[in-house]
Amino acid sequence: MRKARRGDREAAAALFRRYWRDAWRAAFAITGRRSLADDVAADGFERAFGALGRFDDRRPFGPWLHRIVANRALDLLRAERRLSDEELPDTPDFAPPHSVGDRSLLAVVAELSVERRAVVVLRYGVGMTPKQIAEALDLPVGTVNSRLARALEQLRESLEVEHVE
Amino acid sequence: MSSEVERRLEAMFAEAPEPDPGAGEEALHRALHALHPVAAPRRGLRTAVLAFAAAILLLVVAAGSLAAVGALHVTFGAKAKPRPATSQLSLPKGANGLAAIVSGRLAVVTRGGHLHGLPATAVALSPHALYVAAGIDRSLVAMAPDGRRAWLHPVGGSVVSIAWAPDGFRIAYVVHAGRRLVLHAIWGDGTHDRVIDRSVRGVRPSWRADSLAFAYVGAGGNAIVYDLAHTSRSVVASSKRMGAVTQLAFAPSGNGLAIAGRSGVATKGVCRLPAFPRRSVDWIGWLGSSLLVAHGGRHTALDSLSCGGGFGSSDFGGKIVAFDAGGQRLAVAVARAKNNVLVVGTSLPFRNLRSVSRLPRGARVTELAVG
Repeated sequence: MRKARRGDREAAAALFRRYWRDAWRAAFAITGRRSLADDVAADGFERAFGALGRFDDRRPFGPWLHRIVANRALDLLRAERRLSDEELPDTPDFAPPHSVGDRSLLAVVAELSVERRAVVVLRYGVGMTPKQIAEALDLPVGTVNSRLARALEQLRESLEVEHVE
Repeated sequence: MSSEVERRLEAMFAEAPEPDPGAGEEALHRALHALHPVAAPRRGLRTAVLAFAAAILLLVVAAGSLAAVGALHVTFGAKAKPRPATSQLSLPKGANGLAAIVSGRLAVVTRGGHLHGLPATAVALSPHALYVAAGIDRSLVAMAPDGRRAWLHPVGGSVVSIAWAPDGFRIAYVVHAGRRLVLHAIWGDGTHDRVIDRSVRGVRPSWRADSLAFAYVGAGGNAIVYDLAHTSRSVVASSKRMGAVTQLAFAPSGNGLAIAGRSGVATKGVCRLPAFPRRSVDWIGWLGSSLLVAHGGRHTALDSLSCGGGFGSSDFGGKIVAFDAGGQRLAVAVARAKNNVLVVGTSLPFRNLRSVSRLPRGARVTELAVG
């Protein structure tokens, strides 16, 4: 990390390779689109590397990067909604062609609002604690916990309905 | 049940798809480009910072003492920011649309509606002004004039300039990528984006009338024509005396191209136009077969050069700060001592133009597009 901060490109490239996959997967899980995930994750790294000088290297890089990526993804999805009179689907192509084991769960996760989906992704996809999520998204911990609880409740209800049908 | 859902969520995310290798390479390139080395802290620097902080502290104490005896008025907190100046445009008779960036905000009027107030960096109109393309928050966005989004394409930097092809099928745009400006071309539906040149200048590209080629200014200051059919590029020769190209405009019909530099204008593939004195040129554009040349800095004159030697000059009574002339119509934003105006028309002189907006005092027009 220190070498990367001093402009060592090899060290920066190693840092990139270590975190790129996780950052991309978080971006994909929030946006639901490969093309957006490419841009959001790349943008996240660009911003993170551009701001390495302000980063406190005693803290872990991963949560900081995920914070940037998650916020960028949310900004992008919100901008899409703001620019449209219509109620846009937040993840329009979430019927993924890729191989994923739990397709029914994936479909109901896609129906969550972007705010709820973001906390679910950061909690269960990235493995952040509610406190870390609260710091990342600049929210009170209570809000994160309530969003998580409501998201899980919504998922549970949707899966129950699906099961009954 | 929740724990069961949580377990399934963890398992599902563990099986999430992988990124494409190509995306990683491109992202790595961008990330490394954004890297700014930070020097290790030095003792001397630390001492200087401490000395500077002590000096500031002394100044604050002194100012506080003066304020206490009424000799100095001290205010704390940021000065209230002025409200962003925005403008409501009116649609000129016969026009399909008019778009501007006024003090960093979008102002658009077309036959289909108004768009107003979104922060934007660049704007262009599609043919017949059916859509507006704008650079908004590191994305290229196409919108119908009633505000409905057609598509949004993240570009990773602020968009500097946009040009929509006359047939509507493609858009050329210049975007900031770190410290460089990169030229892209994208289909009009927001797909098939590709990089045309990784290092260019921020001049708005200009499309040839057949929409099969466009001109732009390369990093070295040369005008370059990019041919989409042959994916080839050719540098347009210009005299060294003219200097770096600052403006370029394809004629509204045929293959004629006009370029402007630090001292004068040059044309290629156009009928013989009257000689233009060697002057610094601010803007160029076409109105019919006449080349319009704005020059003069603080008090801009707009000259009209026509085939067969025709020459006319119009005084706008101020500085032309933004300009667009795409063949049938011209739009001009003029900053004057008493007021700023935005005028549109189909013919010169100035009295033939119609005022479509009186701009708020201090408003800064940076982009204009008329269709």
